Amino acid sequence: MAEEVKKAPRPVDPNSAKYKLGKIAGDAYANAIEAKKAGKPVAWVSSNFPVEIPETLGLYTVYPENQAAGIAARGAGERMCNVAEADGYSNDICAYARISLAYAKLKECPEQDVAMPDVLLCCNNICNCMIKWYENLSQELGIPMIMLDIPFNPDYEPSRAIIDYVGAQFWDAVHKLEALFGIKWDDEKFKAVTEASCRSSRAWLEATAQAKYTPSPFNGFDLLNHMAVMVTARGKEEAGEAMETLLKEYKENHENGTSTFRAEEKYRVMFEGIACWPYLRATSRGLKDRGINMVTTIYADAFGFDYSSFDEMIAAYCSVPNAINLEKSRDKRIKLCKDNNVEGLLVHTNRSCKLWSGFMPEMSRQIGEACDIPVASFDGDQADPRNFSEAQYDTRVQGLMEIMESNKEA
Amino acid sequence: MVNELLKEFHEIAASPKAQMDRYLAEGRKVVLTAPVYTPEELIHSMGFVPFGAWGADTELKRAKEYCPAFLCSIVQSILELGMTDVYKGASAIVIPSLCDTLKTLGENWKYAVKDIPFIPMTYPQNRKPEFGMNFTIAGYERVKADLEKLGGTFSNEALAHSNEIYNRHNKAMRDLDEVLARHPEVGAAARSDVFKSAWFMDKAEHTELVEKLIDALKNQEAGEAKLPVLVSGILTDAPGLNEILDDLGMHIVADDVAAQSRQYRTDVPAGDDALKALAQKFSGMDNCSVLYNQEKPRIKWIADTAKARGAKGVIVVMTKFCDPEEFDYPLIKKACDAADIPVAIVEVDRQMEHYEQVRTNLETFRDILMM
Repeated sequence: MAEEVKKAPRPVDPNSAKYKLGKIAGDAYANAIEAKKAGKPVAWVSSNFPVEIPETLGLYTVYPENQAAGIAARGAGERMCNVAEADGYSNDICAYARISLAYAKLKECPEQDVAMPDVLLCCNNICNCMIKWYENLSQELGIPMIMLDIPFNPDYEPSRAIIDYVGAQFWDAVHKLEALFGIKWDDEKFKAVTEASCRSSRAWLEATAQAKYTPSPFNGFDLLNHMAVMVTARGKEEAGEAMETLLKEYKENHENGTSTFRAEEKYRVMFEGIACWPYLRATSRGLKDRGINMVTTIYADAFGFDYSSFDEMIAAYCSVPNAINLEKSRDKRIKLCKDNNVEGLLVHTNRSCKLWSGFMPEMSRQIGEACDIPVASFDGDQADPRNFSEAQYDTRVQGLMEIMESNKEA
Repeated sequence: MVNELLKEFHEIAASPKAQMDRYLAEGRKVVLTAPVYTPEELIHSMGFVPFGAWGADTELKRAKEYCPAFLCSIVQSILELGMTDVYKGASAIVIPSLCDTLKTLGENWKYAVKDIPFIPMTYPQNRKPEFGMNFTIAGYERVKADLEKLGGTFSNEALAHSNEIYNRHNKAMRDLDEVLARHPEVGAAARSDVFKSAWFMDKAEHTELVEKLIDALKNQEAGEAKLPVLVSGILTDAPGLNEILDDLGMHIVADDVAAQSRQYRTDVPAGDDALKALAQKFSGMDNCSVLYNQEKPRIKWIADTAKARGAKGVIVVMTKFCDPEEFDYPLIKKACDAADIPVAIVEVDRQMEHYEQVRTNLETFRDILMM
């Protein structure tokens, strides 16, 4: 029998944002692997740890959340979760953590290999689960862990006390890393890194804001891929340049009446929660086939690290999505919905993320009321494929579409 | 005497609502304290009765309007009791944000239980350095300011006095734990009652009762030896669980339970500034799944304590969906295996009605330990 002939992928223009962003993300993994071989220190880093620290100190970095998402998207989430579960980890634990702990044991996974770490840089502004995950990595791998604690803020704005506390930890982390690896902090380099980080953030914010146009010049699922660079490399000069290219392309799409959403845009929704990486295609297709474009997500706001002083930088890290109270979280989303003419809210009730999902029913009710839009939710998981049902997803999306349709007719 | 006292503890532990109503009838103001650690000393010093709110074994109905099914049932049942007016009359609830689910409890509480104000207690995880201590103090200042709005008054002297009352209670509970390790005739259910009642009593009153029990036990000959075990977990007050431990002849010789001994391990140190001293207590706390420590000393503590107390095995009572405990379990198992201490894990939650699976699991564990 003849082998199936696969179509060769369309070559990507090396001047395009897609190429540049893909290269930055890929290079980050490859560079860390090469650095490790050369005996240079590698850090595993939480996604919202201040990138300014490892970047200024010249540490090579790997972002385990990003790695776990990649592994899950390439179909190995369940296999890796099974490894962790066989060691006694409950399947109730965050699937990113299970995948990462499995990788720490196996030290290989063809779906996304990474350099093994010499130090762990942990920040809990995304969740406290991160603390437990990194404590266990530290114990299992026998390497130091630096904990930058950014507590959940029950108030609307960060207090002076929290800025002082996190600011003190920032320098404490720097001094610990200097002592660990015999490296030196350089204020000039710090300045350059902060400028690069702000440049990337500004371009990202502006690019994602292009969804204000109808039709949107992009498919929101693009953001789920491009944000990898915002997570792992926003402090690099080339990230700013790539994000500016992305912005330019989106502006051109608008001017030319084109879009990366390859269907007629009939409805515009906000997607809430982390992507279902094992079912990215199914979740994307379920929307596209109905002409629903996911025009925005909280990620559009999440990486807006644009600041002009040290305290403002610390405040930005205290204000990331999972570190803020319901009212502030709600208001950010309401703004995104209104700015981008959103007609419906699709909520991923993510089995892996208790914090993100824990007050979502109340918050999404409030968003729905404030924006006068329907809300639908579906059960899923960011990386464990066992917690998602395509049939349920389809039914919920269909229901959402029907309400949006009748709203249009009214 | 011992049995009479145990009966009294049981009555208090079994009817928290009656306790709360009694304090309210006396004209005292009650402030609910959610898991895992709240600054009870501060609340007490400002004229309130701190009252433990760890939920209840109950069916979840109203809480489902707010919580996805995969949040732990302790937190969900706290919300359920709030929404169904069981906590009615309380002046406020203090909720610390030491785990992700507790963070969401405070946010949901604001909308679900509007007549009982939510007071957040934000602790630092880097609690030992000076910058961490300062942040703990800032967290206390926030609680203090909110309690002042409810009519509470703060003074350094009053807090120093409350610190002393709580230190004495801590000591009584530590002494009790040691004494109970030598008295197998006090079963798991009775032991649970003594610890649980502490949440629903003014601590000075509870200390008095516990000290009486310690004296009575010291004058009572120890009962026949049973199977010594160490129990670890967040909460182990379910009657269905304790009945099984008692039926199987297990004797809890030490516990690593958040609602029990973990509360009493650390005292407030001496110092002129009572609030700072209270922050020093928090910075000195450890050996707990919700308190960050890169070295994870809790793991070794469990194995070492099991050995020191002569436990033949460790029973991990896992509250379903409790991340912090679930992350620690594989390491506990590994450490106990290395120390030649058998480990059993049983999963519980506050909605459980049938404990047959737990019974089968623990029966097998008992048989292994007796071999």
